[in-house]
Amino acid sequence: MRTSLPIAVAFISGLVLVVAFFFRDDSLIGSLRQEFIVWLTIIGGFTLLLGVVSIVRVSWTAVKRRKEGWFYKILTLLGVFAMAIPAVLPVSWSPLFGRSDGTIYDWLFNYMQSPMMSTMFATLAFYIASAAHRAFRARSAEATILLITACAIMLWRIPMGEAMLNMIPGDLPSWLNTYVMGGANMAVQRGIIIGAALGAASMSLRIILGIERMYMGKG
Amino acid sequence: MIKTTRTTLNYLTGILTTIIFVFPEVIRAQSEEVAEIVTDSLFRVDRINALIFVVVFCSAILLYTKWAKAGKPLFLRKIPGLDAVEEAVGRATEMGRPVLFIPGIAELDEIETIAGVSILGRVAKITAQYDTPLMVPVRYPLVLAAGQEVVEQAYIEAGKQDSYDKDSVRYVAGEQFSFTATVNGYMMRERPATNIYMGAFFAESLLLAETGNAAGSIQIAGTARPEQLPFFIAACDYTLMGEELYAASAYLSREPIMTGGLKGQDFVKMLIIVAIIIGVLLATFDVGEWYIHLFEEV
Amino acid sequence: MSFWERMEKLDRRWVYLAVGIAVIIPFILPTPLPISITTEAQSLFDAVEALPDGSNVMLVYDYYPSTIAECEPIAIAACHHLFRKNCKIITLSNIPYGGPSMAEKITRMMADQYGKTYGVDYVNLGYKYGYVAVLSGMGQSIESIFPADNSGTLLSELPLMDSVKNYEDIAFIFEIADNATADYWVSIVNAQYGVPIGCGGTAVMAPKFYAYISSGQFVGLLGGMRGAAEYEILINKQADAVKGMQAQSLVHLLIIGLVIFGNVGFFVTRSKQKRGAA
Repeated sequence: MRTSLPIAVAFISGLVLVVAFFFRDDSLIGSLRQEFIVWLTIIGGFTLLLGVVSIVRVSWTAVKRRKEGWFYKILTLLGVFAMAIPAVLPVSWSPLFGRSDGTIYDWLFNYMQSPMMSTMFATLAFYIASAAHRAFRARSAEATILLITACAIMLWRIPMGEAMLNMIPGDLPSWLNTYVMGGANMAVQRGIIIGAALGAASMSLRIILGIERMYMGKG
Repeated sequence: MIKTTRTTLNYLTGILTTIIFVFPEVIRAQSEEVAEIVTDSLFRVDRINALIFVVVFCSAILLYTKWAKAGKPLFLRKIPGLDAVEEAVGRATEMGRPVLFIPGIAELDEIETIAGVSILGRVAKITAQYDTPLMVPVRYPLVLAAGQEVVEQAYIEAGKQDSYDKDSVRYVAGEQFSFTATVNGYMMRERPATNIYMGAFFAESLLLAETGNAAGSIQIAGTARPEQLPFFIAACDYTLMGEELYAASAYLSREPIMTGGLKGQDFVKMLIIVAIIIGVLLATFDVGEWYIHLFEEV
Repeated sequence: MSFWERMEKLDRRWVYLAVGIAVIIPFILPTPLPISITTEAQSLFDAVEALPDGSNVMLVYDYYPSTIAECEPIAIAACHHLFRKNCKIITLSNIPYGGPSMAEKITRMMADQYGKTYGVDYVNLGYKYGYVAVLSGMGQSIESIFPADNSGTLLSELPLMDSVKNYEDIAFIFEIADNATADYWVSIVNAQYGVPIGCGGTAVMAPKFYAYISSGQFVGLLGGMRGAAEYEILINKQADAVKGMQAQSLVHLLIIGLVIFGNVGFFVTRSKQKRGAA
């Protein structure tokens, strides 16, 4: 029962959505599809509660047992509730605890969460520089082509570099855009996208038919 | 010999003539009929080409799965990244350090995440056998539930139920970079011997992989996101690209029923390659307008 | 250890320091640089320009606060262009922060500049969980997916939404994304409902999106800060992105320099090792 019921649900849901693709929205199966989609958004909303329960359980246990760094867990719990409670209540239910301008939520979002997230993303620039310096080596003919292309593209994407490329005769920037980005890059991207899409479709079919069960813990 | 060649040439000429002159007319006539039917039919006749593709795709997969079940040997090329998984877990055991597994940072409705969770099941079986600690940070609650279920089941199957720690699969944070910061902190503190990244990754791919590299871990990554592949290739020891991720579960299981699906998928890929070559040839000679319409809504 | 060998094995902390300095310098010594317009940015601008005045446009804030530096200039430039053309804007997001926070903040700020009224000239639908379901569901009925807007007002009470029931009523979609949701706008909305889409995204996503340009699934593309700067120039509102290009220029040059130094070091070390072995 623990295996067959989820497989049956997966089969019926998958089948309805696939078949509905070939029927008009105002048909019976089209309406059923729309119902399924609305259910999905509702169920998805409830699953977010699971996350809150998990993080509260793990953090609270750490605080209770005074594990290393337990103080930070208190901050985590405060952060979770400070952001989660206003998010589920109407925007302006309270001038302080709502979500409109000047509320705690607004303040935390604008002056803590947003800058911290931007800072984390900005560290990518440092890591890219370090990874490029370490990994970009002209070890073979292919690696050399890759290296030269990468440097040329980096130059092309900046005004100073574009000016430098323009000094070389033959409209190199336009050539790079047309043949490297719109040619070689695009062909490779499409190859990977087509392969990955087929892989995803095949995996979906295996799931719908109950062949692939590992994601439910059934090998 | 000459006769055979001439007959073959005759056939080819016949086929080409049909493709170039007859098909466009048939399709044009059909399009006019279809336009009339589309307006008053509940069935989307304009999507008939997609239906044909779905039928061919499903048939190929089911047929190959049937052959595989019947015992027909099916060749799977080697995927070094997956062959390295057991060795990498063995290394962690020898070093007495944990294995870190991240099933991507997308939700469970993303097929890449399901692939990642499936691979997690296979990896958890190995860590259970070796009694190696496993750490699985996740970003979404549904992935948490699925991950816990999969890992627990793997430990039960390996007869190591007592070694299973429910908090080994842990919800870390719902936000991308809070998740990344927590996992990076874990990597630097605990220094896992092996990091396995399998699933959908975004801007955090390099942040994770570079930190893992700095912590001296063996790293195996797999994603179907083409934009993140360069980062993983630069910073990891092994990288699974595109559909290799979806093939991983079948590859690791070696079950005929699973490998059959892969062969069916390869067959359809061959059909697509042939279709692309025909399209390129027809477009080159400027006679391919009708052919392109075959792949659009009729 | 020779200089070149040291360059090959340069401690990553020196690299971090160099990047930090390269980012700071343009703020101290600003140097305006000329920026040319790529065909992808030009075609996106042309597509928006070609929309009839007053068209309904969906402006999608599918990015996290982390990529504000790249995506916010695109969003601001898009608002300038769309409000200037008197387009009716419907904003939404598939990212929890996008709709409730970023879309709300930027669209309101820009609407105030152009004297636009909420509910009549623009509406913020906010965020709803599950982007695949959301994008598919809106094809049939936007109201069934978003019964109320971001502030909880029923869509039936918003005059703009009287004329917008599903994708058939949308003339154009301007998607700003730092993640894979853009793929779903292509495969679900453009492929199945035929709505034209223009995309602005982070630089790292841009190479992948080129595949959607030549297939016509994206009418145009703004790649990262460079794309944002191009759009700012096209709408004649030069702002943060044009300024940001200076720092980006220096960091790109630094990375190229590091790669060159690393490779020279690699070859010097290798030739020494070969000589040693001989």
